[in-house]
Amino acid sequence: MTTAPTLDETSRRFAGARLRRTSGLVLGWIFFIGLWAFTSSVILNQFTLPGPVKVGKEIWEIAKTGAFIDDFQASISKTFMGFGIAVLIGVPVGYLMGRSRYWKHFFHDGVVGAGSVPGIVYALMALVIFGIGFLGPVLAVGLISMPFIALGVAEGLEGVDSDLLRMSTAYGRTERQTFQDIMVPSILPFIFAGVRLAFAIAWKVEALTEVFGSSNGVGFQIRFAFNAFSITRVMAWTLMFIVLLLGIERLLAVLERRLFRWRTWEQTT
Amino acid sequence: MSVASILDRPSIKRNPVGRALTSTWGARITFYVMFLVFWQLLAMNVARVPAPLETFEFIWTELTWGDHPGVRDGEWVEHLSVTFVRFSIGLALGVLAGVIVGIAVGSSRFMRSLLSDVLLVFLALPAIIWAFLTVMWFGLGWKAPVFTVMLSAAPFVAVNISHGVRAVSPELHRMSDAFGVPRNRRFRSLLMPAIAGYLFTGLRFAFIIGWNAVLLAEWFGAANGVGWRSRLWYDGARYEGFVGWVIIFITIIFLVDGLILTPLQNRAFRWRKSGAAGIELVEMDHAGFEEGRAVRGA
Repeated sequence: MTTAPTLDETSRRFAGARLRRTSGLVLGWIFFIGLWAFTSSVILNQFTLPGPVKVGKEIWEIAKTGAFIDDFQASISKTFMGFGIAVLIGVPVGYLMGRSRYWKHFFHDGVVGAGSVPGIVYALMALVIFGIGFLGPVLAVGLISMPFIALGVAEGLEGVDSDLLRMSTAYGRTERQTFQDIMVPSILPFIFAGVRLAFAIAWKVEALTEVFGSSNGVGFQIRFAFNAFSITRVMAWTLMFIVLLLGIERLLAVLERRLFRWRTWEQTT
Repeated sequence: MSVASILDRPSIKRNPVGRALTSTWGARITFYVMFLVFWQLLAMNVARVPAPLETFEFIWTELTWGDHPGVRDGEWVEHLSVTFVRFSIGLALGVLAGVIVGIAVGSSRFMRSLLSDVLLVFLALPAIIWAFLTVMWFGLGWKAPVFTVMLSAAPFVAVNISHGVRAVSPELHRMSDAFGVPRNRRFRSLLMPAIAGYLFTGLRFAFIIGWNAVLLAEWFGAANGVGWRSRLWYDGARYEGFVGWVIIFITIIFLVDGLILTPLQNRAFRWRKSGAAGIELVEMDHAGFEEGRAVRGA
């Protein structure tokens, strides 16, 4: 007969699993960096594929001056401003799609189409419309993230408890009250989830737009390095940017879990 | 809901024109008309934006092998076929690599902890980086587009496949053990049906990502192909040509997606009750929903 594990035992078991997982990840990184170093120094050469040491030195060179902060700031603020536009367009569109059959079909092709157009199209279109500058990347991010938010909001509204709405009508709540107290709380998590889902694509399109035409930002720096034919520099900027963005992405996920902890049922659906 | 309630008015429902306009097809057509009107207005206000008519005229001239003012040719078949060949080879290599890595990551816990973070970084790498690196490695030509497509598509296939492998219930594995089901039969009737749906989801992501990648690589490192052709018009500030080519390849993407990939995916998913992922958002992200991270690139 087996006895239920005590609390102590369970936590020890969890700690063991975590240790195994962490050591696996560390091993994974060692393996990856080792493979990279081996490929660059033995199979290829330091010019074709700069090794981890060379790229690390370049990152240090870039980081030392502190000028990179301006570029990161520019890129990230453009990305989040683009999200602002996406929310401004996506929420009303999603609201209409979730509430009426007519608008659902009206917007369907546009929203789904906009979600499956390659990023290069947005990057270049934004440049054609706005020219080189600040608005291009913002619009590109807005357009590519909008479908996520619109579809999320529409789905969220379709999932609103219809009994709750009927009860509100029965108790004579005004349309405004139902909107404020039922609709908004049920849409909000979907907007946030949409932003988080869109983030992975949005920053790529933002950087891409900067590659094609901008005077600052990470994409601009990467283009600059490409034009100078510096493989090391391209890899250094890319690595710095990716590390930062994965960090932001994780932060958004944590924030979401915190903010919408009360919505426990969401996890199960 | 004021607009919606106007649309639902009985006076509109009785009127045949009103009924046609408020039908689902009416809604769709109204959208396209509104889109064209919006485009026309944009073209009238922004000098760089070509008008719809101008653009469609360009497409017609291009597709009928006509001459454009100042430019003599109509070699669209050459560019399209070159891009298609590069895209297909790159996608095939990417899917192959993705399937191998995906099965490895999905079926072994050791490989998963070894590779999951690395895979995450590869997922995060934008196609433009691969385009730049491959152009610097291989120079102008067919290699840069092919490898850009392969390297950008493979991680997405790998993640989706690994999810598919993990979706096979361990009970079925244990049952197969108990009944001594041979390895190849287990592969065919246990693993394959479970992976197939994920494979097609991955394939659809890879398809869109691959197009983006091939266009980018051709834009920066080729002397022919759709990407090069678009750039020709873009650099010449002949934006009707650029927008015309954008429309041409978006149409192709949608045709292939709607006529080949979606039916294939639905077929692969048909054994599952709820598998065919009704609403598009689910399609967009259900495949790579580890900690809610979107497994889709641009």
